[in-house]
Amino acid sequence: MAEDKGGPFKLEVRGLSKRYQIPVIEALNLGIRPGEFVCLLGPNGCGKTTFLRILAGLEQPDTGEILIDGESVDLTVSSHHRIGVVFQEPRLLPWRTAMSNIVLCLAALGIHGKEARERAQHYLSLVGLRGFENYYPNRLSGGMQQRVSIARALAVEPDVLLMDEPFSALDPESRQILQDEVVKVWRTTGKTIIFVTHSLEEATYIGTRIVLFSARPARIRGSWELDGSSDRVALREELGQLLAQEVRQQQALMAQTQV
Amino acid sequence: MRAERLAKTTAAVQRQRAGEALSRVAMRLHLPTLVALAIIVVVWITLSRRFGDYVLPPPGRVLDGLRDLVVTGEVWEHVAASLYRISLGFGAAVVVSLLLGFLVARSPLLSVAVKDITTVLNSTSVFVWIVLALIWFGLTDRGPMFTTFMITIPIMLSNVIEGIENVDRRLLEVAKVYRFNELARFAHITIPSIVPYIVAGMKVGFALGLRVSVVAEIFGVTTGIGYMMNFNRDILRTDLVFAWAIVLIIVMLVMDKLVFESVSRWVQRWR
Repeated sequence: MAEDKGGPFKLEVRGLSKRYQIPVIEALNLGIRPGEFVCLLGPNGCGKTTFLRILAGLEQPDTGEILIDGESVDLTVSSHHRIGVVFQEPRLLPWRTAMSNIVLCLAALGIHGKEARERAQHYLSLVGLRGFENYYPNRLSGGMQQRVSIARALAVEPDVLLMDEPFSALDPESRQILQDEVVKVWRTTGKTIIFVTHSLEEATYIGTRIVLFSARPARIRGSWELDGSSDRVALREELGQLLAQEVRQQQALMAQTQV
Repeated sequence: MRAERLAKTTAAVQRQRAGEALSRVAMRLHLPTLVALAIIVVVWITLSRRFGDYVLPPPGRVLDGLRDLVVTGEVWEHVAASLYRISLGFGAAVVVSLLLGFLVARSPLLSVAVKDITTVLNSTSVFVWIVLALIWFGLTDRGPMFTTFMITIPIMLSNVIEGIENVDRRLLEVAKVYRFNELARFAHITIPSIVPYIVAGMKVGFALGLRVSVVAEIFGVTTGIGYMMNFNRDILRTDLVFAWAIVLIIVMLVMDKLVFESVSRWVQRWR
């Protein structure tokens, strides 16, 4: 089990709390170094997605601070920090082609014309969609739509790339392929990635670091570094037991809430 | 004995199948409608013999009148005049409802006001607008345009607002994440999302606009389908009143089936 090593952090979260009637996240601290591929693992409904939505600037935290490159930012309004988000669903605009979906997001950043098209082209190729630029999303498979969504998130050249269980809706084969694809993209671009999942296999397969969230309210239960020499089998076993505990606790909580 | 019975039932099944196939063909050709039409024409002829040309001209004379309208080219002038007025009045209603839609999308408070005003406008009689148009615009084109505008705006507005309320929130979150400004969000997410509502509103709105503006044309103008119907009534040419009524129906069908259907297919070609 590894503690957060000291900075410099790409992204740092200090004392973050959020409640919706009940506390969902409580005094959460997390530091992520540049180029890390962090998997957030935790039981369903523990606040992982809320955490990611706060990082995406879609929710305002109640207390706490978020720092990017050591600078405190309000992500709901900040316009010069770029966050790429891949949601559970592809969330493409169905009336625009793969290419023009990306070009539209670049236009919002003031990138137009040839430069925007070339950049969109570059990232579509990176996710293996060369030749599908002019397809409407409805003509692409679920896995391909999710690739477009990844290309879109990369094209804005974000400080941090957030992924919220991006492959949970895909069939097992596509999921496997896309997991490899994301690892490849991470190696090529060196992006800092935060990847939310509730699958232990997925987390230990793709991440360089696993952060285990507790049952609600979300706190950090532990953090594990992974590298080529890590004993993944032993780690899976250890994490599996811890995760099972949290899942049981979360289910007890849910049962309580329903009563 | 058994074989015989089997043969009988097979024949019955075949008869039944043939019957079903026949009724499918009949449906496709709208045979029931044609039969109803034939009955109406027969009743029409009988009644016209009984009451005479002024009250009910026979179908033959109406068709002759219709042919004359087309041959002399008179029909185009007046159809164009009517369509011009409707298009401007209705076009203004579409534009205004989209502008208001943009404001409503920003402020829920405004949305309450606009919805209430829509309800009031919806329950206002056409005749109120026709009379006011006569007072305000006198004997000009603007009367029917104004009437069309006032009658179609509540329909367009309620459709636009309903569409805006149903825009996929998940796509709006994408707009937030990727820092779209308000105008970009409205132009690229809201408007394309509400296209089906706009098209539905346009179909209903245009049909209503056509009916209403024709009534408005009875007063104040000297061209248009409504004017011609009233004019022919004045000079006792009931056959031409019928002919213009048929023109009106055809214009409506053509706009609906050809223009709106293809426009709606084109704007939703990505489906």
